[in-house]
Amino acid sequence: MFLTRSEYDRGVNTFSPEGRLFQVEYAMEAIKLGSTAVGLKTKRGIILAVEKRITSPLLEPSSVEKIMEIDEHVGCAMSGLIADARTLVEHARVETQNHRFSYGEPMSTESTTQALCDLALRFGEGDEDSMSRPFGVSLLIAGHDENGPCLYYTDPSGTFWQCDAKSIGSGVEAADIALKEQYRKDMTLEEAETLALSILKQVMEDKVTANNVDIASVAPTYHLYTPAEVEAVINRL
Amino acid sequence: MAATEGIKQHHSTWSPYDNNGGTCIAIAGSNYCVIAADTRMSTGYSILTRDYSKICNLADKCVMASSGFQADVKALQKNLSARHLIYQHQHNKQMSCPAMAQLLSNTLYYKRFFPYYSFNVLGGLDNEGKGCVFTYDAVGSYERVGYGAQGTGGTLMMPVLDNQLKSPSPLLLPAQDATTPLSESEAVDLVKDVFASAAERDIYTGDGLEIVVVNAEGVKREFLELRRD
Repeated sequence: MFLTRSEYDRGVNTFSPEGRLFQVEYAMEAIKLGSTAVGLKTKRGIILAVEKRITSPLLEPSSVEKIMEIDEHVGCAMSGLIADARTLVEHARVETQNHRFSYGEPMSTESTTQALCDLALRFGEGDEDSMSRPFGVSLLIAGHDENGPCLYYTDPSGTFWQCDAKSIGSGVEAADIALKEQYRKDMTLEEAETLALSILKQVMEDKVTANNVDIASVAPTYHLYTPAEVEAVINRL
Repeated sequence: MAATEGIKQHHSTWSPYDNNGGTCIAIAGSNYCVIAADTRMSTGYSILTRDYSKICNLADKCVMASSGFQADVKALQKNLSARHLIYQHQHNKQMSCPAMAQLLSNTLYYKRFFPYYSFNVLGGLDNEGKGCVFTYDAVGSYERVGYGAQGTGGTLMMPVLDNQLKSPSPLLLPAQDATTPLSESEAVDLVKDVFASAAERDIYTGDGLEIVVVNAEGVKREFLELRRD
């Protein structure tokens, strides 16, 4: 394994003879180290839930931001290198506002995702303001547009998929299995909140508290739950 | 001053602009929109052609009628059509009429200090399927209205439309629905009448009348003769 890779895993834009881009594959590995995030689609809207690793009791929990607003109608949960995600989210915020300026309408969720993936793929070009390596982050993008609620999942290769439910991060395998078993298309928003949190509970090492998880809904506008609202969901578990 | 004294100062009469005349109107109903313009193109006292369309189909449910300087109108139409094609590729859908309205405003304002010499009315259906009309000045200030008239005969037609269609004041709160209560065929008849009248008094309006009706079924075109003198 190491022998075959050693020649071709240094340049970020050099294919190996088998046709692989190792740096992109390594970036995907970085996501498997990240905290778990879950997204679920319901008829009324999308629920995003993330695990926040509070490594010290001296840490201010609200400063760990893993769900961010892109526009009024689009939110995004992330796993991997959060600093990389901030660059992507900043780009998406500019794109959605530009769309509002140009057309006086909100940008569709798919177009927003596409705009994010355009940037995710723009690495290793060598110019001053482009990224030198792939973005080591995976995103769950939740939005509401004329097609109703939509959930997208992106990876460092700049590929995106539309999903009914998806998880990313270190707990991805267990969480995806749990989603396949327990997710139903006709879930209510409240049921989705509970399922999202119960899956996080399964994959998290620490006990779930209002401080070490974040929940947000896009139904139809973005809303990050307050600790009190998170507590209410925890009490339903 | 001393440096230019020896150079003969020509008083330039050349202008980058011309006014090729013509009139455009649009009327919005509850589920339709009528957009119409005459087909005469003039310069000064000369008629260049009696059969030139001022109406441009920008999207499925969005039609622009423009008068002013033909070259600028053509450039504006090409610009918007290209922008719409890009929009379709990027977003996999047709641009809505209100979105096109905002884009047109921006496009005009980006040439704030060398404007497109064009006077536009944009008509079509909004996202709810209701008729919508947007009127503009040459530098992009725009407003959603129930009906609008632009161009050389616009000032002749507007009072007649006001009299027949009386739109609620845009200052009223809450905002009142500005769409006209007329049926589609009544609106088309009104358009024919106001153009026949304007053609009597405005030398830049005449020859032919092109009427476009946008409704849920699609876009219909109708042509009518006007006076040719």
